[in-house]
Amino acid sequence: MKKKKDKTTFGTLALAMFWLVVLSGVFIAIPFDVKSPYFSISSIMVGNPWASLIRNYHYWSSQFFLIFSLVHLYEHFHYKEKIGLKKGMAFRLGLAVFIIFLAMITGFLLKGDSDSRQARQILQTLSERIPLIGESLAYSLLGAPESYQLIYVHHIATFTVFIAIAMVEHSRKYWPPIIDFILSFAGILGFSYFFSAPLHDNLNPAVKGPWYFVGFQEILHWLKHPEWSLLMFLAVLILIYLVNSGKEKTMFLSKRTLLVFVGFYSILTVTGLFFRGESWKWVTPWNDEYSYSVLHNFKTPKVEFSPEFELNEVIESPIIQGRKESCLACHTGTHGFTDSHSPEAIGCFSCHGGNPFATGKKQSHRNMIHIPGNLATAKQSCGTTQCHPEIAERVPTGLMSTLSGMISVDRFVFNEQDNPDILTDVHQLTNSPADGHLKNLCVRCHLGNPKTGYGPINETSRGGGCLACHLNYSGEAEKALAQNKGDLIQAHPEISLKVTDNHCFGCHSRSGRISTNYEGWHETTLEARQMPDSSNYRLVEGSRVFIKKQEDIHHQLGLECIDCHHSYELMGDGNHYAHQEGQQDVQCSDCHIEGRPGTIAAENLDNESAIIAALRFGNISERKFLVTEKHNRALINTFVENDSVYFLTKNSGKKMAMKPPAGVCTSDHAHSSLTCSGCHTSWAPTCIGCHNSFDENERGYNMLKNKEQNGAWVEYIGVYEAKLPTLGVRKTENKTEIIPVLPGMILTIDKKSFTKNENDAPIFHRLYAPAAPHTTSSKGRSCVSCHNNPVALGYGEGELKYEIADGKGKWKFYPLYEPDINDGLPADAWIDFLKNREGNVATRSNVFPFNVEQQKNILTAGACLTCHPENSPVMKKSLNNFDGQIKNRSKKCILPDWD
Amino acid sequence: MKSRRAFLKIIVAGIASFFIFIWNKLTLNHLKTAVKGEKKFPFNKNKTVSFNGDYIIVSQNNSTTVFSSHCTHLGCKIDKLEGDRFVCPCHGSEYDLNGKVIKGPAYKNLETVPSRISEDGNGIIIEG
Repeated sequence: MKKKKDKTTFGTLALAMFWLVVLSGVFIAIPFDVKSPYFSISSIMVGNPWASLIRNYHYWSSQFFLIFSLVHLYEHFHYKEKIGLKKGMAFRLGLAVFIIFLAMITGFLLKGDSDSRQARQILQTLSERIPLIGESLAYSLLGAPESYQLIYVHHIATFTVFIAIAMVEHSRKYWPPIIDFILSFAGILGFSYFFSAPLHDNLNPAVKGPWYFVGFQEILHWLKHPEWSLLMFLAVLILIYLVNSGKEKTMFLSKRTLLVFVGFYSILTVTGLFFRGESWKWVTPWNDEYSYSVLHNFKTPKVEFSPEFELNEVIESPIIQGRKESCLACHTGTHGFTDSHSPEAIGCFSCHGGNPFATGKKQSHRNMIHIPGNLATAKQSCGTTQCHPEIAERVPTGLMSTLSGMISVDRFVFNEQDNPDILTDVHQLTNSPADGHLKNLCVRCHLGNPKTGYGPINETSRGGGCLACHLNYSGEAEKALAQNKGDLIQAHPEISLKVTDNHCFGCHSRSGRISTNYEGWHETTLEARQMPDSSNYRLVEGSRVFIKKQEDIHHQLGLECIDCHHSYELMGDGNHYAHQEGQQDVQCSDCHIEGRPGTIAAENLDNESAIIAALRFGNISERKFLVTEKHNRALINTFVENDSVYFLTKNSGKKMAMKPPAGVCTSDHAHSSLTCSGCHTSWAPTCIGCHNSFDENERGYNMLKNKEQNGAWVEYIGVYEAKLPTLGVRKTENKTEIIPVLPGMILTIDKKSFTKNENDAPIFHRLYAPAAPHTTSSKGRSCVSCHNNPVALGYGEGELKYEIADGKGKWKFYPLYEPDINDGLPADAWIDFLKNREGNVATRSNVFPFNVEQQKNILTAGACLTCHPENSPVMKKSLNNFDGQIKNRSKKCILPDWD
Repeated sequence: MKSRRAFLKIIVAGIASFFIFIWNKLTLNHLKTAVKGEKKFPFNKNKTVSFNGDYIIVSQNNSTTVFSSHCTHLGCKIDKLEGDRFVCPCHGSEYDLNGKVIKGPAYKNLETVPSRISEDGNGIIIEG
């Protein structure tokens, strides 16, 4: 018969675990460095599998020691009879339970990772708030803030010795039964091989205490005065004491209370472990961030005794933010980075995720972000606390992410909303016809659209988050990618400030086509096979044929898109804007200055601008930069020197002197409301007569989900033309200005095609859109190109004639196009000749065509221009005193008669 | 017999009290000797928020304030700005840029730490 003393109980198993903890603890003390615990543990995990195994062993044996000790306590409770320990023994045992927790938590602190450092702060704060002895207690337990010496001493000596004494006194034996010891040894060995002890990567913002204190962390988050929670510990210890030594009724009540507490605490523990994420926010498995925010706690790679790298590679690999990363032991010699993104500075894990402490390829690459920079994962890569958190927060608020204007105008055109200026976001698309149209044809360009394949950004690229602008492949990297057959690639693409026009081209060569306009290319309706073999033609994306037109003067001078547009315009400034003109900050007059420029000294630059300026241009300490008038942002590639304004191209550093505006632009009272682009736009692309219908039998594509769908919107395009734009009026709070506008939405939508109601009439709109054509010429358009041009005035193509008969002058207009059946206006017109037009007239609520009075004013000057050349002294004089000139006109001058 | 045991208990309690007294004294004295000196950090007045270990430096409206980076709830170190709020990673307490609590469990504002800008304007000296 088995003797009682050899019987296996959770107590004997706990005793076995205790010795295994002590033994493994002695071994792990060899590679562990108390002066740099986090580094030494990461080194163990990455470069010393045997030590890693022992660390796991130490961890798991201690966890099971705690579990078995508590279950052993429950075993005692299970006896109905009184336990009846002596009071002194009961007190010491109760205290021992507390000390076991202290031994465990000090072990947790000795990892030195993010979890441990925050747990240490909590422990310190709670201890300090104990009256009278708090300060001494906190220091005696934890020591000096950056030192782990006292924690280590308590862990290996103070608490361990106390536990050993209490155990021996309690059980009256030193050793567990041999079979228990062997079973415990083997079981823990298996655990230790398959599951690593945790170590926080110090990048994930979610921090948690050890599993047995996660319930306590949940309680703490409810309490304004968390120090009161210490009374809970005291109460539990008293209950344990009473269970062991109290009289029957007291013991019974104590047991029940403890059981209820354990049940309650278990629920809190599960809550804390599985439903709390970053900043202790409630997260469920259905949330997108669940895996990153919650499951990262359960990363437990198994020990790899034969990793695919040499120890030497680990030793030589750099220390990244206080840790060793296994990535760099395999990915040696990876090059192509800028300094700030080199592996020596940020390793691989900061961008690519995965598991930096696993030593097998599969485990290391689990949950890896293969293409970092996409907005869905930007907060886990580019936007982590140590890198660019503010930018990662700002970018999703910018228009290139929200597409607010595009969506709002589209819904307005589909008559789904009353005005085109409602703030919205591409993530708020519904199943309405307008949103279906957007998903099918338009919303591929938002920055949140992920880049899913390797390779450089080119004219077919759409979206891609941070990579959309900052990814650059060297020739070597591109070649290595093309020739790769599954080997490690050493030539890595670069993430840098080198944002070129090619990055913008993919998205901005569509719709307003500012990228192609800027380079001097106008899209035609020719098919690829019809394209003439001439350098005057260009094929884009394999199917779109462009013809050469006048390039923008800035392009001719070598300026790229980012030479004008700064980081707060491109990456958002944190505000939501309904349309691009709201987010756009830079204006022509910010650089082409008349008078004294507004400047900012280098020392006063905002941090982001200062960093970008220094990275681009080196020492900027003595510089004074221009600032924008609209949002007061620094233009870091400009500077004022000896009263002259200079400009540097951002990518090539080409210096040029900035020209002030011509005298005619600034001294002319007649045109003070005319914007620079109103006059200096050399041409703009236009399209009229567009028809849209939905074909349910057509195979379509959902650009939001990036997958094919049944049913597609079909766009029947009209005529593409490149010509001088129409002019319109934009009224804002502060000013009224004349701007270029284009026939953005003269279209019909076949409503019955998607409502399936044959009685539904087509939707018709005649809306012009404000434009920023990016086809600036140094010479402004001629006077007659506005005053005598029916397109400029909004009448559309046709013949605008000033006819004089019987001493009376009459303006007459003969439109090119027949009246539209929907509204009787010529197909391309914005307004009827010498008529007002009200209601829905533009893709903005604040943009209008000229009213009759304005048309008359323009045409009156136009009448003068039919006789007087625009450079004649009379016309030049009229610029500053038109009314005076009219008053003193010769008898030969016949003004228009409006009757 | 009983009185002898009681006497011994008193002696033991006395010895324990002596050690507690000595422990408290020596620890407090040690803490006093660990002089908290001034700390100097690089300073950029145009960076609205900088996290420097135990401190958060906030520059706004031409004024600079240094806060302790430790949450007033349980001392966790705050190292992240979400929008215009400091958020504690441990339990989600939130503070505005003036250190004022805007969401609990913390109920006290962030502690303001005395500081001054160095003469050359490039450093900030924080009294530890």
